[in-house]
Amino acid sequence: MASDIDKRGQGYPRRSDMAVLLPLRPAPQMDSLSLTTWLAKIRWWQVMLLMLVWPLHAFAQGAVTVDSAVAVLYKWAPFLLLHGFLFNVLISILSMALGTGLGVLLGLTLISKWSPLRFLGNTGTAFFRNAPWLVLLFVVLLAFPFELTIFGTRVPLPGWIKAVIGLSLPVAANIAIIVRGAIQSVPSAQWEAAESLSFSRMQTLWQIIIPQCIKRMIPPWMNWYAILTMATPLCSILGTEEMVTLTRQAMEAEGNKPELLMPFYGFILVLFFLYCYPIAKLTVRLERKFAFKL
Amino acid sequence: MKRLLALTMGLLTATTSVNAAECTNATLKRITERGEIAVGVKADYKPFGFRDPNGEIVGLEIDLAKEVAATMGVKLRLVPVVASNRMQFVEQGQTDLMIATMTDTKERRNIVGIPGPNYYASGTNILSPKALAFKDWKDLNGKPVCGIQGAFYNQSVSDKYGAKISAFTNAAEAKQALRDRKCVAFLFDDSSIASDLASGSWGDFEMPLQSEDQSPWGMAVAKSEEACAFGAMISGMEYNWHRSGKLLELEKKWEIKSTGYLQAMHDKLADPIK
Repeated sequence: MASDIDKRGQGYPRRSDMAVLLPLRPAPQMDSLSLTTWLAKIRWWQVMLLMLVWPLHAFAQGAVTVDSAVAVLYKWAPFLLLHGFLFNVLISILSMALGTGLGVLLGLTLISKWSPLRFLGNTGTAFFRNAPWLVLLFVVLLAFPFELTIFGTRVPLPGWIKAVIGLSLPVAANIAIIVRGAIQSVPSAQWEAAESLSFSRMQTLWQIIIPQCIKRMIPPWMNWYAILTMATPLCSILGTEEMVTLTRQAMEAEGNKPELLMPFYGFILVLFFLYCYPIAKLTVRLERKFAFKL
Repeated sequence: MKRLLALTMGLLTATTSVNAAECTNATLKRITERGEIAVGVKADYKPFGFRDPNGEIVGLEIDLAKEVAATMGVKLRLVPVVASNRMQFVEQGQTDLMIATMTDTKERRNIVGIPGPNYYASGTNILSPKALAFKDWKDLNGKPVCGIQGAFYNQSVSDKYGAKISAFTNAAEAKQALRDRKCVAFLFDDSSIASDLASGSWGDFEMPLQSEDQSPWGMAVAKSEEACAFGAMISGMEYNWHRSGKLLELEKKWEIKSTGYLQAMHDKLADPIK
């Protein structure tokens, strides 16, 4: 013990018999970004390993040779990618745009000073956040007509448009919560300062509060975008011609051989991963960047 | 001859005038107005309606749809449908005509118009491992059987023979379940099973039973069109396809295992004047 002190020459023993209060480490929490955080934690080498081991395992089980399954997939890949996956991306972008628009409006009702509007907003948000997405999709699909006549012109309303609307509803409700959270996270001193400078409530909101919120809304917003993108294959149940529907049709055209299931569904998995993984990585990075500022 | 012609014309005008009161012929007008006919077809039922790698929908039923469009002199728009929405589309007018592997049943005739004669017919059978050596439908009693969601025969096989049906969304998944031994047999159309067996990748499997429920397939038009011009026209085309051998020719073209129905219809409706 004495030699330790001598070596360091500091007078602090390296070890101590005294009771020490270790720094507090908070328990891991389920935050709003949990899915994205989980996705972003996957390392590249893990993905590579999986992509190498899994097909080998799959082929070892099935009677099919690597050649034939890959050849079949290769034949279909351009069609599945261009007509299937890009369509999923389109659905997700349109749903997100619609959902964000609706969500911001809904979010503003949540902080309204007028209690009936606040009550209405709260009810709507609670309803759409807690309803199963698939059920919402079915309701929208069945409740909307297949074409609308607006001022004498015929506007067709195909299934995928209904899917966009159906998916945007739960997204809007969750965006509303994000908007409310971001607005409430701005220190109340900002409101008071604005009030003292005789800004109206509207002016304060649009010119002072919301510009500060946008930065901190981006990570959770992107998180919901990733979740929404991963939910787009749900539309296949409604008969929308997206990735999963077309994959099933492709397998049908190839004689419905069970050996094709793994390569074809694996292809969907890889595409969705390649699309959502960078979003998740970026989200986590942005979140860290914005977390301690302001 | 002249009198006969006059009589026929008279009869024709008579029937038209009777129907004219109730027939709006909305579908026919819509098709002519737009210069386009929307036909609901399957994109997941080889070889009747399926996709080629370019994404085009092809198959026996698509050839029939093309025939209809060509006969009417309009453009053809194919609308891929599934079992759960095909009748709704016809009812709503989203599609003018449906040719989508639909079995003709009494219940369905209450919802949509199904003009005769039926253009195809298939029975129900099972694909099962040779090792199990099924001899009779009753052997399925209490055993797990894989099927496809929305197939009308699931119910009858489970009611009549006590099979426990688990229904999958598509045939590939059901067949995988059969290979994984989650069920003892795969319940499907006999012509499709025959094609699978012929493909050579089902060496240890067989179609051991007598086909059940030989059922006709029907094209569908809106209920209001059934007794009107459009329904009558479709009816006439179906009749001609049987009589001219067009359907037999298409069955051969798409390498469909014959169920005997088309040959029987061709013989029955054969032209008496060669």
